[in-house]
Amino acid sequence: MLGPDVAWYLAVAAVLFGIGALGVLIRRNTLIVLLSLELMLNSGNLALIALSRHWHNGAGQIFALAVMAVAASEVCVGLGLVVALNRRQLSLDVDTLSELRG
Amino acid sequence: MTGGGWLCLLAPLAGTILILLGGSWLPRIAAAWIATTSVFVAFGGAVWAFLGVHGAQQNVSLGSFPAFPGRGEITTAWTWLQSGHFNVGLQLVVDPLSTMMMLIVSGVGGLIVLYSIGYMDGDDEERRYFAYIAFFVFSMLLLVEGGNLLMLLVGWGLVGLSSYLLIGFWHERPSAVRAAKKAFVMNAFGDATMALAFFILIAHTNSLSFGVLDAHLSSTQANLVALGLLGGAVAKSAQIPLQTWLPDAMEGPTPVSALIHAATMVTAGVYLIARTHAIFEQARTIELIAAGTGALTLLVAGLIALVQTDIKRVIAYSTMSQIGYMFLGVGVGGYANGMFHLMTHAFFKALLFMAAGLAIHALAGEQDIRNMRGLGRVMPFTKWCFLAGALALVGVPPFAGFFSKDPIIASTLNIGWYGYIFYACGIAGAFLTGLYTFRLWFLVFPGEPSPFVREHYHDHHGREGAWTMLVPVGVLGVLATVGGWIQWPPLWEPITHWLAPVAPTLPVAEVSSTQEYATSAVTVIVGIAGIALAWAIYSARRLTVPAAPFWRRLFENKFYFDWLYDRIFYTPSAWVATGLRREFEEPVVLQTGTDLGDATLETGGLVRRIQTGLLRTYVLFLAAGAAGVVLAFLIAK
Repeated sequence: MLGPDVAWYLAVAAVLFGIGALGVLIRRNTLIVLLSLELMLNSGNLALIALSRHWHNGAGQIFALAVMAVAASEVCVGLGLVVALNRRQLSLDVDTLSELRG
Repeated sequence: MTGGGWLCLLAPLAGTILILLGGSWLPRIAAAWIATTSVFVAFGGAVWAFLGVHGAQQNVSLGSFPAFPGRGEITTAWTWLQSGHFNVGLQLVVDPLSTMMMLIVSGVGGLIVLYSIGYMDGDDEERRYFAYIAFFVFSMLLLVEGGNLLMLLVGWGLVGLSSYLLIGFWHERPSAVRAAKKAFVMNAFGDATMALAFFILIAHTNSLSFGVLDAHLSSTQANLVALGLLGGAVAKSAQIPLQTWLPDAMEGPTPVSALIHAATMVTAGVYLIARTHAIFEQARTIELIAAGTGALTLLVAGLIALVQTDIKRVIAYSTMSQIGYMFLGVGVGGYANGMFHLMTHAFFKALLFMAAGLAIHALAGEQDIRNMRGLGRVMPFTKWCFLAGALALVGVPPFAGFFSKDPIIASTLNIGWYGYIFYACGIAGAFLTGLYTFRLWFLVFPGEPSPFVREHYHDHHGREGAWTMLVPVGVLGVLATVGGWIQWPPLWEPITHWLAPVAPTLPVAEVSSTQEYATSAVTVIVGIAGIALAWAIYSARRLTVPAAPFWRRLFENKFYFDWLYDRIFYTPSAWVATGLRREFEEPVVLQTGTDLGDATLETGGLVRRIQTGLLRTYVLFLAAGAAGVVLAFLIAK
């Protein structure tokens, strides 16, 4: 089998996932938060494909495709929200958008 | 022949559905004519069925058609209900008894619906009225045509429903709504006893076809079944002790009263006993109880009618009294006598109600006979038609009641010692009939018009009413006069022969010609004596009403039946209901609701703190949760 061991791929995926999660938690700009979410999803994809290859099982690749579809839908909704916020001249800071508190 | 039966049954139903589908899109007058036409089409179907049965009977007597026993035919559309070996079809029966009822119901019913066109003209909800009334006729036809006991019960229940709808037709009047509820509840009692009787039949014979009535049951079973059927008959036909709904039912429009009293509803009990006579003959005691109930009711109702002041209530009590005669007739075993009186009664009672309706209509809704004196001067047509109906009711020859009432009274003579009591009741009832009917007549029609009549009388374009009202009254006036000539007992009895294959008169109810003639003479003399007394008191004023305060109070309070039922049934249940509300509903049911709400609010107040509205907190919870799950798996491993 060519290329590095599967552990390397998983490590990269974990790092990517950590970066994404931190981005979602720390950043306040809505666009960056969305970007970080994409990062997390794709780290998941990376892990899925790596393992799919490792185990010689196609299911992981199908999963990755499904995740891409979900990611695309999520971007549609997320960007739609950003556009709607912008139209209403609201701030894109997620911390100020807290009207739904209990 | 069976085609006629189906046409007769389905035409009024089709009329109802058409009117309901048409809704407000349908002009009012169109709704009225749809209902009228549908009922007359039903009459056509009844004639068709009659001719079929008649032809079949002719063939039997010629001997060319031996397979057909002359008892009619049962037609099954499909299996309606099946459970194991128990099987009930959607069946109609077309036989001499049901065709006779079909002719009466659809014929008299059609005239009444035609009369309604004029009577209900201008009412706010005419379409609803005509939809209901066609449905009423349909229900009654289903009752008389039902080919097994279950179909009969379905019709029975639907008649109760449609009477409820029509008695409470003027639903903005609280009294009408009360009367409708009363009628429904008392009828439901009868429905329940009938259903119990059917359960016994199903348990012991596993069938509900009319044929099972001939099956041999033990005497207890037969008695119970007959008692249950009698309960239904008594409730529907307003006999003691379930009679109190009938006078209150006068709250409905007058044509509805005519329909309930003449063509549909109250005659159902008589039909039921004639139809299920096989079971009543096995339970002869119960059958005699039916006769006794009739004898008692005809006296009590006649006495109450003496003191009523509402024109419709007098006629209503006379119906109770006449149905009492019919019960007496079928109870002693003279089914044809009862059915014949049912037919003539349908003619003259519909006539009396519709003539009274003409008077009420012309006097702008007035129903108190003390205000109506001298109405005959302004309404001669109504006066003469009413007189024909009144004479028929009293049984003066040659009017219809004469031919039908006397055989009933005579038939009690040979059944035993109690027969003489029944006979005395019948004769006394004939006297009372003459008295109360002509009290009504002398108070309302002859003499100079009272100031009230002068002030309130208004004609309808120069006539006494719309032509749609006058024509049915005229037709029934003729029928009330000559309708009895169809049977001259004991010389010529086509109706008895017609019904003989289905409901043959019991031998004990057969009387000799001498008894028949003697009874006729006595009844007529007594009836005319009643008329003479009414004349002496209310017209010539030679006699005064004896002041008997006890009796007057008793009659005016309708023998305290309402009072008694109020004490026995209403007051205790109202007391229990009030107690339940105070002790259970308010402290338990209502308080539980409030407590649950409070608890929910409190819990919500605690949980709402986590809902910060900040995205990052939610993500943190999510991440922590996911980490927790992963951790849990790792530990578990």
